[in-house]
Amino acid sequence: MSTKIELKLSRPNRIYLPYEPLEGKIVVKSASSISHSGIRMAFNGSVNLQVRGGSAGVIESFYGVVKPIPILSKILEIKPSGKIVSGTTEIPFSITLRNPKEDNLERFYETFHGTNISIQYLATIDILRGYLHKSLSATLEFIVESDKADLHDQPISPEMVIFYITQDTQRHPILPELKSGGFRITGRISTQCSMLEPLSGELTVEASTLPICSVDIHLLRVESILLGEKIITETSLIQTTQIADGDVCRNMTLPIYVVLPRLFTCPTVLAGPFSIEFKVAVVISFQSELSRLHPKSDPITPRLWTAMETLPLELVRTSRAYDSNADVPNAYAYAALASLV
Amino acid sequence: MEFRARNYIAEEQSHALPRSRAAIHPLSSPSPPTHLRQVDDNVENRNNEEFFDPLRAPDSNAPVKIVDGRDSESSSYGNDDSAQVQMKEWTSFKRFLMQRFPVSKMISISSMSNMIVRGGKAYEKYSTSMHMEELDDPQKSSEEGAKVITWREYVSRLHELKEEINGAWHNEDRVKSLKLSIKVARLLMDTSVSNFYPTLFVLTTDVLDMVGNVVWERIRQKAEFAEDGTKFCSLPENFRASDVCIDAKETCYNWFCKVGSIRELLPRIYLELAILPCWRFLTEQPAESLQRLVMMTRGLADPLASAYCRLYIAHRAQKLPFYDTGYLITCVNDIKLIFTQISSAKETAHGCLADSKSSLVSLMEPAIEFIMKCIFNDASLMRVGKVLVELGIGRSQEELFGGSSCVSIVLHHLLKELPTDVVSSHAVDILHLIKCSNDYSYDQCLNYRLLGLRLCEQISQIGSVDDIVNEVILVVSQCGLDEYLKVIDAYLDIVLQNQMDGHLKTILEGISELACDQVIAEDELAGLQSILVKVLSHFEDLEDVFSLNHFLQILDLMHGSSRSIVNMHILDMATRNGYVRDPTSIQLIFEISQELHNDIDIANKKNDDNQQQARLISHFVRMVDHGTEYEQHLAFLVECRGAFSSIIELKEILVHSSNFLATKALKDGKKHLSFVKSCMAFSEVTIPSISGHIKQLHLYLETAEVALLGGLVSHSDGLIDSALDCLQSFDRMEGSRAAVDSDGILSSIRKLCSLLIMVPDNPEVGILHIPKSILSIIHSQSWSPRMKTRIFCAIVSLSATLSQGRLPYHAFHPEVMGNDLLFFGNSSYVHELISLAASVLENLVDVIEREPSQAARGNMSLEACNCIVSSFKINEHVLLVCSKLIEIAKLCLSAKDKYLISTISFLDKNLPAATAASSITV
Repeated sequence: MSTKIELKLSRPNRIYLPYEPLEGKIVVKSASSISHSGIRMAFNGSVNLQVRGGSAGVIESFYGVVKPIPILSKILEIKPSGKIVSGTTEIPFSITLRNPKEDNLERFYETFHGTNISIQYLATIDILRGYLHKSLSATLEFIVESDKADLHDQPISPEMVIFYITQDTQRHPILPELKSGGFRITGRISTQCSMLEPLSGELTVEASTLPICSVDIHLLRVESILLGEKIITETSLIQTTQIADGDVCRNMTLPIYVVLPRLFTCPTVLAGPFSIEFKVAVVISFQSELSRLHPKSDPITPRLWTAMETLPLELVRTSRAYDSNADVPNAYAYAALASLV
Repeated sequence: MEFRARNYIAEEQSHALPRSRAAIHPLSSPSPPTHLRQVDDNVENRNNEEFFDPLRAPDSNAPVKIVDGRDSESSSYGNDDSAQVQMKEWTSFKRFLMQRFPVSKMISISSMSNMIVRGGKAYEKYSTSMHMEELDDPQKSSEEGAKVITWREYVSRLHELKEEINGAWHNEDRVKSLKLSIKVARLLMDTSVSNFYPTLFVLTTDVLDMVGNVVWERIRQKAEFAEDGTKFCSLPENFRASDVCIDAKETCYNWFCKVGSIRELLPRIYLELAILPCWRFLTEQPAESLQRLVMMTRGLADPLASAYCRLYIAHRAQKLPFYDTGYLITCVNDIKLIFTQISSAKETAHGCLADSKSSLVSLMEPAIEFIMKCIFNDASLMRVGKVLVELGIGRSQEELFGGSSCVSIVLHHLLKELPTDVVSSHAVDILHLIKCSNDYSYDQCLNYRLLGLRLCEQISQIGSVDDIVNEVILVVSQCGLDEYLKVIDAYLDIVLQNQMDGHLKTILEGISELACDQVIAEDELAGLQSILVKVLSHFEDLEDVFSLNHFLQILDLMHGSSRSIVNMHILDMATRNGYVRDPTSIQLIFEISQELHNDIDIANKKNDDNQQQARLISHFVRMVDHGTEYEQHLAFLVECRGAFSSIIELKEILVHSSNFLATKALKDGKKHLSFVKSCMAFSEVTIPSISGHIKQLHLYLETAEVALLGGLVSHSDGLIDSALDCLQSFDRMEGSRAAVDSDGILSSIRKLCSLLIMVPDNPEVGILHIPKSILSIIHSQSWSPRMKTRIFCAIVSLSATLSQGRLPYHAFHPEVMGNDLLFFGNSSYVHELISLAASVLENLVDVIEREPSQAARGNMSLEACNCIVSSFKINEHVLLVCSKLIEIAKLCLSAKDKYLISTISFLDKNLPAATAASSITV
């Protein structure tokens, strides 16, 4: 007997705001009719924390998983016990995740997939079939973005941070010829960035005696978890974007334009038990024989032949005109789903 | 048997059509009302007309329909036109790129392109993970140095990849096709084999264009069709972003996110360019991202990679419905900066880099060329000013060329694309600009040359011609010969058309000074050739050219094919205005012809060029006219025969000329008889060296005619004998071609027969010696029955004519006695004629019966019958032959055949009354 059960959401990108009705349908395809003792849907959201690597010690690592923080747990009775006829049956459902009248203390954090922290929302359907049969179930992740009530009040400041990268600003040892020859790279970059906008800025190589090999922008996440009295922080790389390939012309302004990857970024969160922050690093690699000897490893580790500047980056959710036909492409910074390609 | 007596004068009068004076020429265009009236008449009468005149066919409806069809087609194309033109331009540009930089057989591939070498195995495994990070897994693990594969393998691998991308796309595995496309784009990061780069660019952008198209189609599909395939909206050609549904927009933006997450700069730019048109689904100003992409391209440090990336920008931007060229100007300015950087690097590095630099420049040139073309596509004058200011060349709209210098290769392509008006009105400024833009990237003198060529497009519009020419002459005065020629060649038309004779003199003097004591190279010869030809075609009269100082001197410096070409121009010029009469010119041109003749490669006689030369020389010989200096002209002909021995057609012309000369002298009076004899001798000696017996035959007959005109009977006898010899040897020599030329021979023999009427018979060799020889030749040859029949008829007619008391025509010369006077009333002469004709009649029927084709046989017998009836008085013997012939005709042709009917009635008319009744009803 083959029975297939599937959940379909009303939006192909599966993005919902907490106050919006989450709508969809349950699709059951069955060769024979099924009797059941009830159809029930569960909507769960939680912050999953895991301690691993980073500043965690041996003992903390040993414990591994920290108790998850629940955000949402709702059960929706779809149907009482009965029968599903053979063939394809579609059962619609609708639920509002957050009832403004309910005193819901937990915040609806936005969906985020990191290394130690992941914030995930799942919808699960269960068709209960008594003790003799295994219940039929299916699970689907849906994506939550902050609703308007939670939005930052402050507007995004258009100001950018100006940075200088020279042999003297480096906190790690660099090649002697770099130290003596010197280099100067300047630029500016936004340190507060809307989730809807690309991270932007510009960079100019003003001088460098050693030829440049590459200039990359690293997008980093900083995940912190409160474990007992200790805060365990780990910084890891989300994405690298090269903006210069080779020894570029001096004094030519290069644009910094980094499209923020979705699901892997979220608005900066500073909650009690955990926090999610972001950083942006400008890394200049110089041409050097040494670099060839080292296999490509962790790109954020400072090396003798690299110079870098790391800046904090605050990501914020600004309002999006979801239903209007806005001209700006930034209104559509969603749907990081392969199915949508 | 007896010949019919003829009175030719009376016959001519009776057969002549009555003539009446016509008021209008029948072919002159009639006035409109008459014309209409005529058409009407035609329409009415058409049905009654027996034959159909295609020119009057009034099928006027058909062409109108065709025109309508075309109209509707062209209007439906309207919108796509420019897109199609751009497509075609791009295709031809790609072909040009591949041809300009051909690829050597083997390419060494650096590690970057390992995917090509390893084939499909490297990327069989794809996780379905959503993130792109694993795409960026740089395949640098195996850096064992360069690998070598053939370029054919490389290309076929790329084609496979294209197929794979296509296949994955159609299997709904779009992530895979995106990943493969990124790998393809990544190939362009490898510039190590620089000569292969243009080809690589063409191949990879081909794939990327395809990817761009399928993405575009998919999003468009999403915007027009619901998931279940129903169409819910139809996007117009010029849709706006607001017409596009959210769903399609999300998919589209997702593509830009995917592309934006590619780690490496170059593939990221290329992929975004591939899907650039898709910005139209998202924003009303899709061109805005172009400026960013141009800026991002600055991050590509490799000059070659960045130049071609900008080329791709220019290409993809054309897919947008509307864009400003400002971003292209930024591209050009950035390229300029790269050139400046390269040139400053040259100063520090050692000299051997210069070579690789010039090859780098030439590799980058197509990019500049294409971008410049895009900038000036339908540029208005206003825009041109803006462009020039933005390029840093102009200071303001008023001062278009007041700025600083420019990288010379950029200047070159700018100059190529500038509107003609701008070039001609700012020529002096541009000259100064070229003067201060002198760097390694392009040969300065080629820019001077280009300016000249551009100016020549509209010579009448040039403002300050004197300044320009003075300036240019000043510039070239410091050049070597090659540069001098290249530059001057471009400005020569300006000098000539403005009648700047002083400058022309200076130029020629300059050339001869530079060229006089050196061996002239190929390039320089080409330059000299172009200049001399321009000078030649400017002047009307050859003598004016020859009188130019240094012209002949320069011509003498030239050699080889260039010289031949100039010589041919001189020859052509000499003969195109009619006769050449001036003795010094004749001498000069004769020498030139001799040179030309010496250059004709004997081995390549069939070569078109050589034929052209031969034609020109022959034409010249024909056009030479010494007036009344006949002796001198003949001497010239003799000289020509010696000088141009390899030109066969010329010998024919020599014979014609000498015959013409003899005729002219004869008309002049009697005193030139000995001269005419020398002409005859000349012709007689020349003819045998001409190959082809038919040609010889014609020429012999022509000469015999002239000899007869001059009263030189013995000469003409000799010539006719030679003609007969030709005829005799004809079959042996050219047997295989006999069939083809039979009409020619036939008409020659007929011509000979009519000539014989004038030629007095020579009793010493026997009366009717010549017709008899003809007959014996006929018998010995295996000619077709058709041809033999006709020759027989000709001889029958000849005999009948000779028997008349008064011949239809006589030789012009008073001293030549006609046969009618020589043999009048001589019964043995008439008897000879009768017996000749009778012997022909005997064979006639036999020959006709041998003709295989029925229709031809019928017609031949009718022809023969007509000939016999008009030649003889009908007696029983003749009638017997005639009725045999009619019999044959009746068997072969239908009873209604008009020729048959009219022949029978002709025969009836001529029957003696007694026999009329019985014979024909048989």
